[in-house]
Amino acid sequence: MKRRSFLKASVASSTLVAAASMGLLAPISVFAADWPEAAITANTVDDALNAAFGTSEMTDSDAITIQAPLQAENGAVVPVKITTTLPAEAIAVLAEKNPAPMVSLVQLGSAAGGVYSVRIKMGTTSPVHCVVQSGGKLYKATQEIKVTVGGCGG
Amino acid sequence: MKKLIPGLVMLLTASLSSAVYSSPVDDIAAFQGFFAERFKDVSLEQYKDGVNALPQYADRRGNWELLLDFPPYEEHVEKGRKEWATPFANGKTFADCAAKWPAATAYPWYEAETDELHTVVGDINRCLEENGEEVITNLKHGKIARLVIAFREQFNGQKMNVDVSHPGAQKIYEKGKQFYWAKRGQLNFSCADCHVHSSGQKVRGDVLSAGLGHTTGFPVYRTKWSLAGKPLGTIHRRYGGCNNQVRASAFKPQGPEYKALELYEAVMNTGVPLSVPSQRQ
Amino acid sequence: MATKMKIKAGKSGGHDVLVLAKHPMETGLRKDAKTGEKVPEHFITTMKFSLNGEEFAQAHLGPGVSANPLVTTNLTSAKSGDTVSVSWVDNKGESDSAEATVS
Repeated sequence: MKRRSFLKASVASSTLVAAASMGLLAPISVFAADWPEAAITANTVDDALNAAFGTSEMTDSDAITIQAPLQAENGAVVPVKITTTLPAEAIAVLAEKNPAPMVSLVQLGSAAGGVYSVRIKMGTTSPVHCVVQSGGKLYKATQEIKVTVGGCGG
Repeated sequence: MKKLIPGLVMLLTASLSSAVYSSPVDDIAAFQGFFAERFKDVSLEQYKDGVNALPQYADRRGNWELLLDFPPYEEHVEKGRKEWATPFANGKTFADCAAKWPAATAYPWYEAETDELHTVVGDINRCLEENGEEVITNLKHGKIARLVIAFREQFNGQKMNVDVSHPGAQKIYEKGKQFYWAKRGQLNFSCADCHVHSSGQKVRGDVLSAGLGHTTGFPVYRTKWSLAGKPLGTIHRRYGGCNNQVRASAFKPQGPEYKALELYEAVMNTGVPLSVPSQRQ
Repeated sequence: MATKMKIKAGKSGGHDVLVLAKHPMETGLRKDAKTGEKVPEHFITTMKFSLNGEEFAQAHLGPGVSANPLVTTNLTSAKSGDTVSVSWVDNKGESDSAEATVS
């Protein structure tokens, strides 16, 4: 039987996190130990989101800010920083045109703020989706990052 | 479209045709004046940031800003500081040698008695030799770059001010100026073609940096070099790379050509502060 | 392998925790220049962040993350003297960790 996605479990336990942060329950580990292989190796954005969150339905949100260059200096090192005012259980970074779009995702506990930054590899110009799971639902902001052929500088 | 500003043309034809050297002071005014006009909102100090200072680089500046959140060169700087402080077998250190050197803002400096132009790389190796240590043979990256950083970073924020008042220094300066403005390579470009006339314009996906400010951020940490495992580079490493890219043969690091070029660029940078090392593409 | 951590005032509040890990993050697709053979996959899989011993974030990375990854998370209410630690494992079972004190 297919292993249930770990983050589905964390959606359920996010209520525990909410309760814990109100001081009602002692915090338990909300973090499953497994690396989300299915999500990180999936070949499409939808497959990756389904594997990680159990859904690929997203709502655009302007409560998510992306700080990333409009054009990469080097496709091997593209810095992306996401900030959100939504109470975030998880943040994921997806480079749509990468062979495995979900480059990274972070699970956040109650002590964590809505910030995630990571340097990603991009093979080609692509929209980069920054997805926030909040209250069990998915929200996103998207920015295109250009990857070009270098000139004299490389 | 006017490619050369008239003042520069006059100075150059004067210097090349009649061996009457225009003064470096005039050259600096013409060079820096050109860029002040071309990039009206960029102050002289901002040129220490290289291409990141140019408005045409706005789309890509985010790369540099975000990488500086946790600069990739930090571990190399720390390693270089340790290497700088480690005593030689005879108990002396680089600091003992450097106590007799001018400030980094005065490099490359001309020694009249020996008619020699000193670079930081050359003086570091001289220090090693004088203290019975092995000189460093790789003059482009690695240990030599770390040691140059360890010396130059002590002067960060201070403004370039190289003395070329001696006629011997001026001769070398003129050679460097000729090199900068002379066409070379299969692509038949001069340094000035890209970094003066076409500064801020694109070469495929990249933006050409302004010649003003070149060398104040060196040695640099380049993302491109880091992916090949040799992230740091001295000025002469970059000169060689640039010459290769216009399909000209590179000259040897610390040879007379690149030393003269370094002197010319250092003089053109008068007033620009040091910012060592720098993070570049 | 060396992992470094910096804790800075967060630009949007709290404290940003920046971790720089030394790791090749091989995708398994790159060919070794000398042997012509593909260099096998070798990448950090999970990075756990803790505040005074309690986990507050767990980052999952993959081969799409750049070599020598920099990962940043944020703490909303860390206090001076708190200990922040990070530990990661990779797909070969190698691991490393680092810690720092909030100033």
